[in-house]
Amino acid sequence: MAAKLVRGAIVVAILGLVVTLAFAFRRDPHDIRTGTVGKPAPEVSLDRLDGSGRVALGDLKGKVVVLNFFASWCLPCTEENPALVHVYERYRASDDVVMIGVNYQETRDNGLAYVRRMGMSWVTLADDDGRAALAYGVFGPPETFFIGPDGVIAGRHIGWIDEATLIAGIEAIRPAAAR
Amino acid sequence: MSAGDLGAAALRAGVFLALWGTGAAVYAAWKRDGRALASAKVAAVVVLGLVGLAALSMMFALATHDFSILYVAQNNARETPLFYSIIGLWAALEGSILLWTAILAGATAFVAFRGTAAIPRLGTTAVAVLFAMLTFFLLLVTTPAADPFVRLAFPPDNGAGPNPLLQNHPLMALHPPLLYLGYVLTSVPFAYAIASLILGEGGDRWLVATRRYALVSWALLGVGIVAGAWWSYAVLGWGGYWAWDPVENAAIMPWLTATAYLHSVMVEEKRRLLRTWNLALVVATFSLTILGTFLTRSGVVNSVHSFTQSALGPILLGYLVAILVVSVGLLLWRSGRLQDRGPVGTPLSREAIFLFQNVVFVAATLTVLLGTLYPLIAEAISGAQLSIGGPYFDRVEIPLALALLFLMGIGPQLPWHGASRMTLERQFTVPLVAAAGGAVLALVTGVNGLPAVLTYALGAFVAATVVQEFARGARARGILHGEAPLTAVGNLFRRNGRRYGGYVVHLGIVLVAVAVATSQAGSVDAEKTLAPGETLVIGGYTLRLESLRTVDEAQRSSVVADVLITGHGASEQLHPALVQYPNSAAAVGSPGIGAGLRDDLYTILAAFDQRGFAWATIRVRVIPLVSWLWVGGLVVGIGALIAGLPAPRRRASAVLPVAEASAPAD
Amino acid sequence: MRGRIVAGLALLVIAAALVLALRPHEATAAERVDRITSELRCPVCQGLSVKDSPSETARQMRDLVVQRVGEGKTDAQIEDEFRASYGEWVLLAPPLVSWNGVIWAVPILALVGGVLVALRRMRAAPSDLERPTPRQLAELRERVRAEEAADA
Repeated sequence: MAAKLVRGAIVVAILGLVVTLAFAFRRDPHDIRTGTVGKPAPEVSLDRLDGSGRVALGDLKGKVVVLNFFASWCLPCTEENPALVHVYERYRASDDVVMIGVNYQETRDNGLAYVRRMGMSWVTLADDDGRAALAYGVFGPPETFFIGPDGVIAGRHIGWIDEATLIAGIEAIRPAAAR
Repeated sequence: MSAGDLGAAALRAGVFLALWGTGAAVYAAWKRDGRALASAKVAAVVVLGLVGLAALSMMFALATHDFSILYVAQNNARETPLFYSIIGLWAALEGSILLWTAILAGATAFVAFRGTAAIPRLGTTAVAVLFAMLTFFLLLVTTPAADPFVRLAFPPDNGAGPNPLLQNHPLMALHPPLLYLGYVLTSVPFAYAIASLILGEGGDRWLVATRRYALVSWALLGVGIVAGAWWSYAVLGWGGYWAWDPVENAAIMPWLTATAYLHSVMVEEKRRLLRTWNLALVVATFSLTILGTFLTRSGVVNSVHSFTQSALGPILLGYLVAILVVSVGLLLWRSGRLQDRGPVGTPLSREAIFLFQNVVFVAATLTVLLGTLYPLIAEAISGAQLSIGGPYFDRVEIPLALALLFLMGIGPQLPWHGASRMTLERQFTVPLVAAAGGAVLALVTGVNGLPAVLTYALGAFVAATVVQEFARGARARGILHGEAPLTAVGNLFRRNGRRYGGYVVHLGIVLVAVAVATSQAGSVDAEKTLAPGETLVIGGYTLRLESLRTVDEAQRSSVVADVLITGHGASEQLHPALVQYPNSAAAVGSPGIGAGLRDDLYTILAAFDQRGFAWATIRVRVIPLVSWLWVGGLVVGIGALIAGLPAPRRRASAVLPVAEASAPAD
Repeated sequence: MRGRIVAGLALLVIAAALVLALRPHEATAAERVDRITSELRCPVCQGLSVKDSPSETARQMRDLVVQRVGEGKTDAQIEDEFRASYGEWVLLAPPLVSWNGVIWAVPILALVGGVLVALRRMRAAPSDLERPTPRQLAELRERVRAEEAADA
């Protein structure tokens, strides 16, 4: 009786092992879904990179906010920048969509030089001690958050982003009246 | 004909010969046909030659920077020094599987020649099993998924170069081959076990035949793991040596079950017990090595050791499933024939302690397995993403490790069948005093925490039992043969290497345990941004940043901080650096380590002023006794060597055949 | 008898040492930081804890923990802050929710079950273990004689 039980347990355990391993193939080890999506955006207040004052994200309630974490040393950031520039130009006139860049883990000088070189004319902020990145649960740049007018993080994109994804992300949370 | 063509052709020819060898060995075992066996032997040698030729071709291609081969283009550059070019054979997936195949071919040939004479049918069946596995690996290295000799139509001018972490330290030459040798050699006991099950042998002949293979593979795995810990310590720059990384776990699991097996095998030899159990341990050990290969090479888990994701995963999983189905099926089918005769002794007998020890080892293995795979299981069931790391494993494995230390102290001191109160007193009075001394020593030297104090007490306990054994053995020889103590110890090793080599292994394990406990409990670290000339003080040492400079080499450029550490009567200059390789975006930290018998000083250059070298952020960790971890690993290796060396033949072996360590493994 | 007294004394010393090692003491701020950071997973590393990782991100997380400890937050509050932004993923030992208890239960069950099975196979201590059987004695004598012969 006990021996049968042991045998059964062994067979079940091995089956479970194999099924788990087979399932694991369908998973992308780089896809980390945990985080702040669906929760109110953390309220942080940061200096502008160029030193011209301070911005509190809480003050932007009622608008769609595209929050992009970037760094000059991050290659995909450079690659996604043209898409960011295009989308910024597209929504420049509509005052219900704001794009904000947060400089990730580098000195303000380096960040500012990069911002100027890449033609990033939207608001860019310094995050010297990394508190904003930690509050948003950033794993590494580039990372883009879409915050709705209600102040809730509606979406998050890890890694290189393209124009279509950016526009889709914005339009999905923009109030119908503003479109 | 280029080296690449030669290697590719050799592997393809190898497939056919291995198929032939498999068939010949199966026929030889089935029909007891000597000519077929001779043919299989020839096939084994030729396959070994072909695979060896392929491995040498790859080394040659790497050394001559032949970028028309994809593998070379991806893992080598013109600037790569010759040494790191050659060991590039195991720097990535395809090459490492080629090395694996070569070792397996070596093992197959060795068994074909040395293992088929004494017990022809069992040995020949084992050769057939080995040949079948070799065929699988040869097929693997000739499929696109793992073919190391894939050509590039348009070779680049220069290759990408090896992964920065793999060209940073000479230990890379040692750690992977040792581990692979250990992994692959577990195939031999496995092949014999499977052969024994297929033939339906009730006896223990497979076990006697493979005892030395099991010991050698266990020792190589163990030394390979310690070498890997050392590499991790010297290269990865976090001041630790073990992170419960999935691939470290994959290496420790077969080592745990193999350790259990090496002990329970003695119960079967002396008492004819635990037959099914021993077969199961051998099967588990081998399956776990394949599981480890799968985990490393399929990309299902994140790890510093992960090779890039490839189509290899499903194939290896299929192989693992086949191994499990065949061996578990055979075990369940044959277990009726393997009924044990008679009960185990009392709970205070040597075999009982071996049994408890097996239980703890298996629980430890299960814990590592579950902890490694649970994130995958949780995600499969509920989609939740969670982590399992050091805090979980430490909490479960440290108590288990302490229990093992305890069993290690009492097991060898107890007689078979059962002990009396008198025996207990005779054996344990001195070790108990030593244990008290160890506990007091821990408290006096300020080693904190219950686990560390227990480790010191149990370590002293075990060490005392070992010393007591040597003293008694040497005294007995002194009385009987008038030998001087040192000569007597030498003769103990020579005449009963298995027992006394085993004690040396136990001493090595004590060293490892004490080193781990002390370095975990007693490390202190500090971090400070310093201008040249400024100092930071930590644990009685003063660290002074002397200068920052750049060093340019062909294959890399580095920023090096020169720091001077003084304290505890020593003074040493260390050179932590940040190294930039052309094929890597981020700079790689290269720690400056001052190794000592008492403390290691581990320094890392965390950041520096990129404009004028005006400051540098230095992180320093003082790690006590960590050097003894590597020494302990070495002692374990030496003990295993003593235990594995053939004892001189002697006439007395007719009296107690089972008790002799001199029964040949071949 | 003397042996027994010595062994008893040694056991007393060991017990005293363990009690000393277990004595409760108030964790200092630095110890709390070490403890908390060793439970947190560094987001940019391969399974290293925030305490161990040399990365910049881990350093920033350590700084945050130091600040929170200074502010008088409890360990649980600080861990919760990181859980809010990184999810359960950030804890290196998963909390005891849903099925997670399995990872603690399995080692304990394996150990207890294994010991029970092992005990069932053992027999009670027989009383005549002291005296070797005549056959064992003969074997031993033969062995000693043979070894001496081999050495001579």
